[in-house]
Amino acid sequence: MSHDRTAPKNSIEHSRKRKSNASLKAAAHLHNNNYTDHYIHTGALPQKNVRNTDNPVEGYPNLQKLFRLKEKQIANHSSAPYGCRLDIDEMVPTLKNWIHNEKIVFDVVMIGCLTDNQFIYPLLTGLPIDKLISKPGFLFIWGSAQKINELTRLLQNDGWAKKFRKSEELVFIPIDKKSPFYPGLDNDDQVLFEKMQWHCWMCITGTVRRATDGHLIHCNVDTDLSIETESTRKSAIPSHLYKVAENFSTATRRLHIIPARTGTETPVKVRPGWVIMSPDVMLNNFDSKRYREDINKVGAHLPIRNEIELLRPKSPVQKRNS
Amino acid sequence: MNMQLITYLIENHAALLNPPISGDLANIYILFASTSKHESAGMKQQEAKLAAFWKELKDIADLCPGCFIFASTGYGSAALSSRDVTVEYIDIQALRMIRDSMISTPAEVARPVRPLGRESSEELALSDRLLSVLDSDAAATPNKRVLAKLEHFLSVKPASYRLGHERAQKFTPHSKFIPICGNRSHTNALASIASIAGNRVLSLDWNQLAGADQSTPGLSRCVQSKIHHIPNLKPQTDKTLGDCSYLDTCHKLSTCRYMHYLQYVPESLVQSVAARSRELNDAESDSKSICLYTRNLCCSVASKSVLPAQWIQCDVRKFDFSVLGQFSVVVADPAWNIRMNLPYGTCNDSELTDLPLELLQREGVLFLWVTGRAIEVGKESLRKWGYEVCNQISWVKTNQLGRTIVTGRTGHWLNHSKEQLLVGLKGQPEWLNRQCDVDLIVSGSRETSRKPDELYEMIERMVGPHARKLEIFGRDHNTRPGWFTIGNQLTGDSLCEPDVQRKYRQFLHTQRTSYGCSSVAA
Repeated sequence: MSHDRTAPKNSIEHSRKRKSNASLKAAAHLHNNNYTDHYIHTGALPQKNVRNTDNPVEGYPNLQKLFRLKEKQIANHSSAPYGCRLDIDEMVPTLKNWIHNEKIVFDVVMIGCLTDNQFIYPLLTGLPIDKLISKPGFLFIWGSAQKINELTRLLQNDGWAKKFRKSEELVFIPIDKKSPFYPGLDNDDQVLFEKMQWHCWMCITGTVRRATDGHLIHCNVDTDLSIETESTRKSAIPSHLYKVAENFSTATRRLHIIPARTGTETPVKVRPGWVIMSPDVMLNNFDSKRYREDINKVGAHLPIRNEIELLRPKSPVQKRNS
Repeated sequence: MNMQLITYLIENHAALLNPPISGDLANIYILFASTSKHESAGMKQQEAKLAAFWKELKDIADLCPGCFIFASTGYGSAALSSRDVTVEYIDIQALRMIRDSMISTPAEVARPVRPLGRESSEELALSDRLLSVLDSDAAATPNKRVLAKLEHFLSVKPASYRLGHERAQKFTPHSKFIPICGNRSHTNALASIASIAGNRVLSLDWNQLAGADQSTPGLSRCVQSKIHHIPNLKPQTDKTLGDCSYLDTCHKLSTCRYMHYLQYVPESLVQSVAARSRELNDAESDSKSICLYTRNLCCSVASKSVLPAQWIQCDVRKFDFSVLGQFSVVVADPAWNIRMNLPYGTCNDSELTDLPLELLQREGVLFLWVTGRAIEVGKESLRKWGYEVCNQISWVKTNQLGRTIVTGRTGHWLNHSKEQLLVGLKGQPEWLNRQCDVDLIVSGSRETSRKPDELYEMIERMVGPHARKLEIFGRDHNTRPGWFTIGNQLTGDSLCEPDVQRKYRQFLHTQRTSYGCSSVAA
């Protein structure tokens, strides 16, 4: 990095000598940085150089407004925050009870968090997950790239592949190696590149169409990538993971299952609009009767708001006459 | 009973049984005697003492049958004599039991110590105990300490990683690095003072810059050390609309009402940074020419020159891969059919998965660019070809301003800010320099489907500059020294390896004759 510090000094002296010219001439060629090379020499990770990490929609006032409006609307139509504290082996029986006896379904189900010791595959196969999720419904599964890779097995299973369509693959990148989300232990000696990311499968069940189902889904609001910021550090699960799901689906019934111990130092916080099932969730207040009342009050879907409709990205309208 | 001897045997059994002593009785006796400070004696006495020592051992063996196994090296003598006996096995558990039963009294004295300790801890004040809980973390258990130690051990990388990393540093030339300024007020201040013509910033007026420095302190210093993006304001530009999604790649620059930017770096800054990196590279060329750590590379790595770029224009789907030989690394960027209207022809899944890649690598690494649906098809293909998916690299695509691409409906359900590259490993190649780089590339997007050049450097660090490297479905801009490129969009052929030249001529010949035959038949 030393050349960064010496450079301005030299150029100030340089420009003082040329002050008679009274101008700072621009370079003849465009400059491009090589951040991979920079990492090798300085250890500064490539993701540190992304300029819109803190505000991904920087420079786009309409998108910024859309995000604000959506955030407000989602907050106004949220159930109370619910936590359901359970041991991992109690999860499947409890969820089965919800499905068969309590008759609860969710439109958005998120499974997993950013730890490596998760029991995702057994949970997915031990559960009639298609009965837990309404149709159409959305499933987000977060884990290490290795764990997500194992899910490819599900696609070979006909039953699963027919019910769920893998639609996107999301990535979360920790900002540096000191981050609580740095997947350090996942680095076995065999990998060829040091691991710096978490992956997510976004699956859709049932049918939704991008062009016509604007009351159910808002497409192209978020991107498939997010980089950790200073504000993400405060919780065991970065809030961005929740926001992507909230921004995409207009449904208000959301469940997050964390089939892993996240430890006492990074407790799982509750979040308005979500039922969070985890062995370490801070609150244990889930009550199916109260939850149903909540949902009845706020409605199963966010109402359509013209302001949002005008701003959100939409598929180009196809001309029927031509 | 010789307690001293029993204790000695328990403590030293491993040393006594293993070479160089190998259980030889006479030597065991000498060693034991030296520890128990017997005065030295003459040969005769020595002989007698050895016999006595032998008797002591036999006494122990009688008391506890099976605690020793003796073997004789002597011939013909039925009874073992002290001269030619070796001890083959010592059952230290049995010896311990003998010892414990003999010295049971002191052991009983020792036991009451523990309850004493417990009493003293109960005497501690409640507050002290609570404080000690605080001191030792919430989950303070011995397990936690052990876990921390284990994690530490597991995270320590072998020296080969550090050496490999250091070598990568020496071998990678320093490129010119200039950070990008992210300060919005700088952008606005510069917009009014830059002289712009023909969509290029020509210069900044020094006096005006000094004036602007008054209202935005640090501006002039920042201008001389970082890259700035200056708004390219046109009569039609509407600032309230924000930035154009396409920025510098916008085709309607003369009519687009969104904001566009021009890069500004002072010539003097580029020159000083270039001089600095040249200096660093010169300094490192010395350490490069005497590279001592050559593991995973050929030993003449520093002096051997890299082969020039080679390429063959061909339809990859019909090409005979056996012409090419073996490669350490294969990179493929197939035109997957992902049910989108793309400006180029695409391949069917089966056309891609049926490629005879097994001809190219007995062991090695395969990099496969995938997108959307092709992620799963790609993983399946890798497995089918005999590879194990060991990494999934993300290319974070950035725009002119160094920001991720967040607009423009680049994906079906969500916008796409990254592309995925699967890394497959076949066999157990020992010749890889692992984990020099991370599984991320942050780099600007260029023409449609053109991938970042950073990948080449990452691969060269991993396998060295002389390993054979192949790119399939490459275009002209993919040709590169040390690399072999094949694809149908390349211009002509260029070969320098004689064996490949010979096999390729043969291939062309057989193709021509078979084509000739078929046309005759037709």
